[in-house]
Amino acid sequence: MAILEEPIKEVMVLKNYVGGEWVQSKGELQDIVNPATARVIAKVPYSTREEVDEAVQAAKQAYPEWARTTPLGRVRHLFRFKELLEDNFEEISRIQTMEHGKTIDESRGETRRGIENVEVATGIPTLMMGYNLEDIASGIDEYLIRQPLGVFSCIAPFNFPFMIPLWFTPYALATGNCMIVKPSSRCPITQARVIELVDEAGFPPGIWNVVHGSGSMISSALMEHPDIEGITFVGSTAVAKEIYRECGQFGKRVIAQGGAKNFMVIMPDADLGNTIPALMTSFYGNTGQRCLSGANAVVVGEEDAFYQQFKEAFVGAASRIKMGYGLDESVQMGPMQSKKAKERVLGYIEKGIKEGAKIILDGRKAKIAGNYPETCFLAATVFEDVTLDMTIAKDEIFGPVGNIMRAKDLDEAIEMIHTSPYGNEASIFTSSGKSAREFQHRVNCGNIGINVGIAAPMAFFPFSGMKDSFFGILHGQGQEAIRFFTESKVVIQRWW
Amino acid sequence: MQLTTASQIISFAKELEDKAAKLYQELAARYPEAKEVFLSFAKENKKNEIVVQRTYNEVVTDAIETGFSFEGLEADPYMIDVDLAQNVPLSSAIKKAEEIEERIQNFYTTAAEMSKGLLADIPRTFERIAKKRTERKGKLTSL
Repeated sequence: MAILEEPIKEVMVLKNYVGGEWVQSKGELQDIVNPATARVIAKVPYSTREEVDEAVQAAKQAYPEWARTTPLGRVRHLFRFKELLEDNFEEISRIQTMEHGKTIDESRGETRRGIENVEVATGIPTLMMGYNLEDIASGIDEYLIRQPLGVFSCIAPFNFPFMIPLWFTPYALATGNCMIVKPSSRCPITQARVIELVDEAGFPPGIWNVVHGSGSMISSALMEHPDIEGITFVGSTAVAKEIYRECGQFGKRVIAQGGAKNFMVIMPDADLGNTIPALMTSFYGNTGQRCLSGANAVVVGEEDAFYQQFKEAFVGAASRIKMGYGLDESVQMGPMQSKKAKERVLGYIEKGIKEGAKIILDGRKAKIAGNYPETCFLAATVFEDVTLDMTIAKDEIFGPVGNIMRAKDLDEAIEMIHTSPYGNEASIFTSSGKSAREFQHRVNCGNIGINVGIAAPMAFFPFSGMKDSFFGILHGQGQEAIRFFTESKVVIQRWW
Repeated sequence: MQLTTASQIISFAKELEDKAAKLYQELAARYPEAKEVFLSFAKENKKNEIVVQRTYNEVVTDAIETGFSFEGLEADPYMIDVDLAQNVPLSSAIKKAEEIEERIQNFYTTAAEMSKGLLADIPRTFERIAKKRTERKGKLTSL
């Protein structure tokens, strides 16, 4: 199968975008490697603390005028930006594949999800409305208005380099705030292209800024900065917890989304014909590198025949997954994003074997479609006889590894889910409305799938999350994002 | 060749529409007596290409099973050959067009059937285009 044309032809040197200008950082440059071809495709600067401060100052300066721009005036910039994203849909998607490794279908899916957030944020003249009540006392009225706060920052992860900054930024801007985006240092190119479109859309200088660099240095510079009102973060639980704590200490608003260990419960009445493709997408889509990936498949029921039927279908489908360069349209799974990420997953596979789990599909023997180095490639792996005390059943592996477990009934399956400290997603596959309703009610996870393997909320719903998967009160996307980026002011008025 | 991903399916559908459009343009040039009908088909093929691409672009998300909805769909039975020998009579050209339409219709119907439970909008669009093909075959027969 032919490879789609690569949009990155030569090594790019990325710049920061501050105050509406392209700024060359004084920081060191690091290579960005295409994980499928192992070729260097860009160099990203590791910006300095002073450069972070310059971005904050530019945003702070731009804020008062932007906050006074009418909501309709603000969203007109977003409408133009949305059109530019549509015009460049394919290029943006292919860049994601080049820097991340995901398949072109997955990249386009990510692009669409990101654009949907821009679309929802264009509804701000309605969505940002407050409310009022006449005559709260005789002759006195009361109303609530929502106002922007100032400068926010988004610290983005590598696994969705396009979409995740758009879970937050369009809402921040539409409500009248300014934003500093810190793209992932592993996948920064997509955001570099996005900011070119931001520039083309004609946003006023300083409204939307990009500073590249090291996650830890930039995060701490932003959290400690007195002119930053709040931080949004998506990444590991350890870092999310740290960010939450520090934001609390410095009095900042925070949305901190952490890791996950998602359980997929398969009831004996599940429609396996549709369940298996849904599970393949869940476990092996994005090469398992997403916080909504399935990790533990719990097959319910004591009947061996159903268990065997499920296992054969799951392993059979996983073994047929075509792995290769994501710009080959026939490829179903790309490489891991980096060699280091692959090595981390390999460590978990070895640990699983050592702790007594049975490996029934070994992804270490990878067959790659096309002539690409093995560096980052790791095929689908399946374990069975996995128990809850095993490391592979507890830790977030963040790779193409699936565990098959058993539960005697739905109660036991739900108990198993609740042993996990995480609460990002859980799904049930069933033909029974009763089981589905029970599951939805009892399971302590923020995103519930019913015959859906990736319960990814649409832009007009919050991206929920519970327990160690989320730190904060309000979530990203939709109405909750609007609440996060605004202060509620109540006015009580009387006229003599 | 096996088609597995939604991306492949969309590219294949567009390729079929594009080839068919070229055939009808050629037929329009060769047979002035049916020019209007053939050109309208070519125009509709181009529109189908856009509709198919748009449907995919507007519904594709990481939450739907784009990589795993078409496993085992062989492309070979739906490949079309649009080369037309010189000096063939209109009746033979129409017969060829009918065969091609049959193949394209079968492709859309099969792909829609396979992905019905998972991709929803894409199979709906495919079914709509396949249905229109029946009308088209009727028009070809009546020429």
